[in-house]
Amino acid sequence: MVESTLKQDAKAPNTNRIGLTLGDYKGSPSTLCDGCGHDAITSQIIKACYELAVEPHKVAKLSGIGCSSKTPAYFLSRAHGFNAVHGRMPSIATGVSMANKDLTLLAVSGDGDTASIGLGQFCHLVRRNVPMIYVIENNGVYGLTKGQFSATADIGSKLKTGVSNELPPIDICSLAVEMGCGFVGRSFAGDPKQLVALLKAAMSHKGTAILDVVSPCVTFNNHEGSTKSYKYAKEHEMPIHEIGYIPFYEQIAVDYEPGSAVEVKMHDGSHIVLRKAAKDYDPRNKLAAIDTIHKAIAEHQFLTGLLYIDEKKPDFTTIMQLDDQPLASLGQDKLRPGKDALSAIMAELK
Amino acid sequence: MHEVTIGIGGAAGDGLDKSGDTLAKTAGRLGLHVYAYNSYQSIIRGGHIWLRVRLGENKVQSHGDNLTCLVALNQDTIERHAKEVDAGGAIVFNADRLKVDAKLHGVKKDVQILGLPMSQVTADVVKEFGPIQPVMQNTVAMGAIIYLTQLDFAEAAGVLTDTFQHKGQKVIDLNVGLLKAGYEYAKSQTKEVTGSWTFSRQRRPFITGNEAIAIGAAAAGCKFYSAYPMTPASTILHWMAAHAEQVGICVKQCEDELSVINMAIGAGISGNRSMCGTAGGGFALMTEALGMAGIMEVPVVCVEVQRGGPSTGLPTKSEQGDLFQVYGASQGEFPRMIVAPYDVVDCYWSTVEAFNVADKWQMPVIIMSDLLLSEHPETIDADSIKSDVKIDRGVLVDKWNPEDGKYKRFEFTESGISPRAIPGTPNTCYVSGSDDHDEEGILISDMFTSQPMRRKIMEKRMKKFEGLLAELPAPKLEGPADADVTLVGWGSTYGVINEACQLLQEQGVKANHLHVKYILPFHAKEISAILSKSKKKISVEVNYTSQFARYLRSETGIGMDAHINRYDGELFEPKQLAEEIKLALAGKKVSLDVSEDDAREMACHYLRTHGGEKFRPGKITRQDKSSAKEPVWSIEIVDRLSEEKVAEMVIGVQTGHTFSYKSLVPAVS
Ligand SMILES: Cc1ncc(C[n+]2csc(CCOP(=O)(O)OP(=O)(O)O)c2C)c(N)n1
Ligand code: SF4
Ligand SMILES: [Mg+2]
Repeated sequence: MVESTLKQDAKAPNTNRIGLTLGDYKGSPSTLCDGCGHDAITSQIIKACYELAVEPHKVAKLSGIGCSSKTPAYFLSRAHGFNAVHGRMPSIATGVSMANKDLTLLAVSGDGDTASIGLGQFCHLVRRNVPMIYVIENNGVYGLTKGQFSATADIGSKLKTGVSNELPPIDICSLAVEMGCGFVGRSFAGDPKQLVALLKAAMSHKGTAILDVVSPCVTFNNHEGSTKSYKYAKEHEMPIHEIGYIPFYEQIAVDYEPGSAVEVKMHDGSHIVLRKAAKDYDPRNKLAAIDTIHKAIAEHQFLTGLLYIDEKKPDFTTIMQLDDQPLASLGQDKLRPGKDALSAIMAELK
Repeated sequence: MHEVTIGIGGAAGDGLDKSGDTLAKTAGRLGLHVYAYNSYQSIIRGGHIWLRVRLGENKVQSHGDNLTCLVALNQDTIERHAKEVDAGGAIVFNADRLKVDAKLHGVKKDVQILGLPMSQVTADVVKEFGPIQPVMQNTVAMGAIIYLTQLDFAEAAGVLTDTFQHKGQKVIDLNVGLLKAGYEYAKSQTKEVTGSWTFSRQRRPFITGNEAIAIGAAAAGCKFYSAYPMTPASTILHWMAAHAEQVGICVKQCEDELSVINMAIGAGISGNRSMCGTAGGGFALMTEALGMAGIMEVPVVCVEVQRGGPSTGLPTKSEQGDLFQVYGASQGEFPRMIVAPYDVVDCYWSTVEAFNVADKWQMPVIIMSDLLLSEHPETIDADSIKSDVKIDRGVLVDKWNPEDGKYKRFEFTESGISPRAIPGTPNTCYVSGSDDHDEEGILISDMFTSQPMRRKIMEKRMKKFEGLLAELPAPKLEGPADADVTLVGWGSTYGVINEACQLLQEQGVKANHLHVKYILPFHAKEISAILSKSKKKISVEVNYTSQFARYLRSETGIGMDAHINRYDGELFEPKQLAEEIKLALAGKKVSLDVSEDDAREMACHYLRTHGGEKFRPGKITRQDKSSAKEPVWSIEIVDRLSEEKVAEMVIGVQTGHTFSYKSLVPAVS
């Protein structure tokens, strides 16, 4: 047996509903650059899973290739991981979901992994509505290959070398809404409170939940002239509402004025409460969502929050009419179609 | 031969590549030969980076396996490499932060230990310029190395002056000041590690294989380059992007490799000289389009830079594992050229040739390189690269008189080459289809499949192989004809195999060397003629399955007497290779067991991934009797500060399995 050299706390630590500590949700130490936005997101994923008392062994961590895609190694060391090739995570995830619908799929990808090489896969995943949490750690560059612009880099944004990006960005959120995604949120690695609430809400969603999180790359895209830097994001972030999450196992304590908030009941019985901020925004209205996102892009605003939600859309396991029992756990008796079925097929060939 | 090798070790982000550059450029300007290799990891900061720079009066063909001087930027480097420094050499480090213990670190006799008391050495400079950043201390160490290795101070100062030109005189003065401080300190404390050199002072360019490919493409008139970043091919893209305006190349960074090659084919079919580049993983995505270029007879050049596979594999390590992938890429049969350059200068000329072959023979050409060749810099002779290269665009139709009949894009000819009209030429319109077609480009398998037409079009395309082969120079045997053994290789191992041959010669083993550059088409007849005269044949490849030797056997029926392979991410080194060859000649196999050094490295890695920088591996003992079913390495883990033994780790000698890691101190919070 290999024991870890990681230190254990001397005093009894706090535990969650299933008796696990926050430390139990951690992974190995990060090898990313100090200050990388991805590490901040990792912390919130750990926190969300701990607070929701997710059973780690029932989670499948999925990712592609990139600095962002390395992060599943840094959280939930007790969960299984699938570190796929570049841009192919969505289809791997679809396969995993089909084989074992009881797993909670928690995926992390990058803007390159999702919006460049994986764009086709991304669109089809969303279209299928594969039940999973899909976090895009968006830094506008390919961090791992040394900072070239990705497809989400804003037009006019500059690299350290002074090179300017001349192509318009792909906006992951508006694309996801367009493709029919039932849960679309945008956040910022430097806004932990909102991020953890969105992550929790995403875990209660039955279908693809897309979270596009601006996550500055401190080494290649955090300078003056970048629109994905900590400074730029902090100065431009405009939360459209304050998001609260009440898990199904807790009582709702209503402490808001009727009409001052939007409340959405999630599939698993949890609730999200969206307190209106500056705008009168209802994330259940698709056209309004698209309109708002487009206006924000035009006005160079960095809107964050739950941009769109539709809890009624059937997810892929439902569409595929999967059995209650996960396919991966079928016993020999159910695994084969049975003698009668095969005889019938052979009979047709005679 | 008069030469020295300097090893520089630290973490990613320590700026050690810059120091290596200063050193290499200085030597290059003095007219010395330089070969550098950087062993690094796929992370942007941290990790262990190990750069070796070898300098010689004569051409140096690999990074060698000696170490004359060590520059340690962290304690880890001292622990790992201090013992490798040869007697007469020196170890240079920042004595304010690090320490060398000759006994503990296994320092050889007669190695000078030069701890630089950094704050004292830089005191004057700091007084004048203010506090300095930690990375600038590397410049002080470089000053010491310039003295120790007897390079020219003024030349090194000149290199720094050029490097910092854009930052202004003050930054130049600061850096030269630091260099001087290190130089003077070393002079006052140590003696030089080498005799004085004869400097020709003929400046030698210092470039990598990828740069040579990019410059070769520019010289050949490439007008379109597409790529998606991927190590170790990205630096071609970076060069292209940085020089696009200067040399007039349209450079496109695409969303994936499917687009990359299809764009290049689009540009090629429309009359451009076009090229694209990627690593093995990206090339896998290009395979479908490659066959399309084959059936449409499109000139396009594709650079495939191999790294450790399979899949994402070893992103920052070199390997020759993609031969079969490139050879077999895409369904069906079509002519393609595969050329594997063997050194940096050859990268340049192979690229120029690739464009000419692609245009003349109207086929995809793949340049196969690898991480070592693409990323290691070396000095070359300034005139080994010439810009006035021959350009052959093949048979082009720029005018067509309809009275001469219909223009046939795929006209059957003696050579198989059909005169090519570029889209836009009046009266020559045709359709290029990915379905098979007749001379005019009309599909032959729509209504029914015309068997004779299929035969003829296949024969037309495939016979281009013969014509091309006849034009290419056949490989030649290097070294004594009556050798005891012939070493067979391809690609980047050329230099190291050559050096191993020389070493063997000195040790009384006569060896010669057959290095094959053209993989497809293949000089089967000439190669058979050479090898059938060899007494013993040994293949040397950086892969597991000896792909090239298998391919050679399939083409010639000649098998090897032994295979030497390396697939652990690192490279062959001349002495080690010579030893393996001697073993192979004696009919013995190299041990695949985990060595003591391997065990230490594994422990370092384990500590890093589980606990950070506090501990280091200490004494290592082999235990032949253990509770495991194999002998084991028992490794003491020591606290770096207190030198106290804190844990014990057990690693299997045969399996490399980590049997246990036992903490000996109570866990503290
Ligand atoms: C087929 C293929 N092409 C290229 C690469 C090289 N590559 C690795 S990661 C990466 C981009 C990563 O960018 P992103 O997804 O934004 O992640 P980040 O590092 O920015 O977090 C690329 C191009 C690859 N691994 N596979
Ligand atoms: S390179 Fe950028 S994205 Fe990658 S770890 Fe460093 S800061 Fe993060
Ligand atoms: Mg990115």
